[in-house]
Amino acid sequence: MPVFKTPFNGYSVKFSPFYESRLAVATAQNFGILGNGRIHVLDLPSSPSPQISELASYDTADGVYDLAWSESHESLLVAAIADGSIKIYDLSLPPTSNPIRSFLEHSREAHSADYNPVRRDSFLSASWDDSVKLWTLDRPTSVRTFKEHAYCVYSAVWNPRHADVFASASGDCTLRVWDVREPGSTMIIPAHDFEILSCDWNKYDDCCIATASVDKTIKVWDVRSYRVPISVLSGHGYAVRKVRFSPHRQGLMVSCSYDMTVCLWDYMLEDALVGRYDHHTEFAVGVDMSVLVEGLLASTGWDELVYVWQNGTDPRAF
Amino acid sequence: MEKALNRQRVLLQHLQPTSSFPSSSAALSASICAAGDSAAYHRTAAFGDDVVIVAAYRTAICKSKRGGFKDTLPDDLLAPVLKCDQVSRVRLPRGLFAPIRMGVQTGCSVLQPEKAWSFWRFHLALGLNLFHPDTVPIRTVNRQCSSGLQAVADVAAFIKAGFYDIGIGAGLECMSVDQIDRVQKVNPKVEIFAQARDCLLPMGVTSENVAQRFGVTRQEQDHAAVESHRRAAAASVSGKFKDEIIPVSTKVVDPKTGIEKPVTISVDDGIRPNTNMTDLAKLKTVFKKDGTTTAGNASQVSDGAGAVLLMKRSLAVQKGLPILGVFRSFAAVGVDPAVMGIGPAAAIPVAVKSAGLELDDVDLFEINEAFASQYVYCCKKLGLDPEKVNVNGGAIALGHPLGATGARCVGTLLHEMKRRGKDCRFGSGMGAAAVFERGDCVDELCNARTVQKNNLLSKDVQ
Repeated sequence: MPVFKTPFNGYSVKFSPFYESRLAVATAQNFGILGNGRIHVLDLPSSPSPQISELASYDTADGVYDLAWSESHESLLVAAIADGSIKIYDLSLPPTSNPIRSFLEHSREAHSADYNPVRRDSFLSASWDDSVKLWTLDRPTSVRTFKEHAYCVYSAVWNPRHADVFASASGDCTLRVWDVREPGSTMIIPAHDFEILSCDWNKYDDCCIATASVDKTIKVWDVRSYRVPISVLSGHGYAVRKVRFSPHRQGLMVSCSYDMTVCLWDYMLEDALVGRYDHHTEFAVGVDMSVLVEGLLASTGWDELVYVWQNGTDPRAF
Repeated sequence: MEKALNRQRVLLQHLQPTSSFPSSSAALSASICAAGDSAAYHRTAAFGDDVVIVAAYRTAICKSKRGGFKDTLPDDLLAPVLKCDQVSRVRLPRGLFAPIRMGVQTGCSVLQPEKAWSFWRFHLALGLNLFHPDTVPIRTVNRQCSSGLQAVADVAAFIKAGFYDIGIGAGLECMSVDQIDRVQKVNPKVEIFAQARDCLLPMGVTSENVAQRFGVTRQEQDHAAVESHRRAAAASVSGKFKDEIIPVSTKVVDPKTGIEKPVTISVDDGIRPNTNMTDLAKLKTVFKKDGTTTAGNASQVSDGAGAVLLMKRSLAVQKGLPILGVFRSFAAVGVDPAVMGIGPAAAIPVAVKSAGLELDDVDLFEINEAFASQYVYCCKKLGLDPEKVNVNGGAIALGHPLGATGARCVGTLLHEMKRRGKDCRFGSGMGAAAVFERGDCVDELCNARTVQKNNLLSKDVQ
């Protein structure tokens, strides 16, 4: 399957929920430490052509750490920028009129963005300023700020069934579950002894959540009995940067790590590690599974490469 | 900048989980590359702005007063090295240096530093006559036995800083001409501080101090001396030094008849292949009655010179010059003057660390053998595998021309690395230490372009 070379270091990759061949990549110059950023919107080749084509790209004044496709409009993208701003891009408009919105409220790097998949009208941003913010497209400011974490919040993810519930993972070693109708967090899970860098909900079980940590493990939790994890998955050699549940199979997860590998897990199996890909030559920091094509994976990393491949095949073979 | 540092700090926490809760005061320390051999990912070794060594040569090292260079002036010792080294072997095209800023730093004669500048200027004219000698700046440095290494490190630093494009780090000592004198006039205040007074100790006494303080026995020292001679002899006989030695045409005066004879010196003459424990045990100690340092287990008094040519990788590749190795790091660390010889034990770990490596990652060491006592101590202190240290002998067998030894060690190391092949890292230690690397990206053999003979006919005719 094809490979795309980005000029900057990859930070995140997301498949479009509307087009099976479209994906967006967030990149940042100089490993996201200093410099500009760029968002690439890519189209996968239809079978005869071997090249990934770039549909659009948007430059930013600081690195782009994450992005999320809108669940309501096929052409809208939300980007989390390292300068703390949240920007909205519309692919149907010419590059000069983009971004169509820019919200600057976070005082430090915005690290993740997630669009509400149920109500489809709002999205979340998580930031290193220890807060999570709730936004809608039509308001000039954030709807709410959730500030309870004591250190960087690396990820905030909506529950796939309940329109008002989300979870946030933080460097303060806790996972928090929130209900936007409630004044504070509804649950605090001290999930790891080290920083938690990512979390995701199971798409088939609205009580099941996975956390990925600097302690090199992924833990799977049931929010109804959160004293002990359902499963602890070890196999990565360094901090696990991102974890995503499969939209197609209940137990399946994909993760990427500072050990440069992308791993596939099925937490319900005894041998949970079901696949390992070592195609990246630098930290693998972005990974996604396509909703529209079963088994289609995408990953990006600091080696400035975006790989898209079918599970079970070699990402480098094309 | 604050922002960038904070980002680095946050990301670093992901890789170095120090505590269960990240403390905001986690200090970042600067290092050249934190990813050593032990890192999970492959280290990309080749950058255009790496400082690389494209040539390293030396003269033979000869016994002072009795050896091959006893009647050679210091000026005439290094000129051939510069000449051969830079010009004929590497085949720099004429005029290469014209648009390029070049500099020379020399670990000059430790014994006669004040004389050095003028004769360096002089032999630049002799040695570098192919490229406008008057525009090439020269500078001399003195760090005693590490002077040669310091000169190489200074050139590397200057190239990194952009002061030069090409530089020569060299060293020279002619102990036949220049004597080791006691310091003439001393500030009387030195008596107040023991450490200041210790700075005036003769080197041999400091060697005895090392032996006494760290319990290095006479037997261990004699054994080190025998090993040094054995290895140097083996290397010399098998022709290992041929690559690095530039033959010097000079004269020798017969002391009895006074007749001058032209000679070409291309072999080290201090090596005694038949050195053995029994003979060494018979030697009298020199500095202390019940001491351990003898003429047999101390370095020899010698004449010699060495030079190392450095430039950025990008320039070397552009000019098609061979890359022998990459200059990775350098450190100089002070120690108690009463036991000055233990410098390598202090400096090597620092240099290795700042290269982002562990001691185990280093494949070869070159540690100066000023005295067997300090050499044995350093090896023991660092826990080095004897098979990795001074594999071709050291100053006990080859000789120790003070200002030249550093440059000599670099050359010996680089040529040994070339023989050993790929992906090695190696360190050189005196009071100062440096780490060099022969990574994946150095040339297997030599990428110097051979100049095709031009028969001045057009292509059509050929």
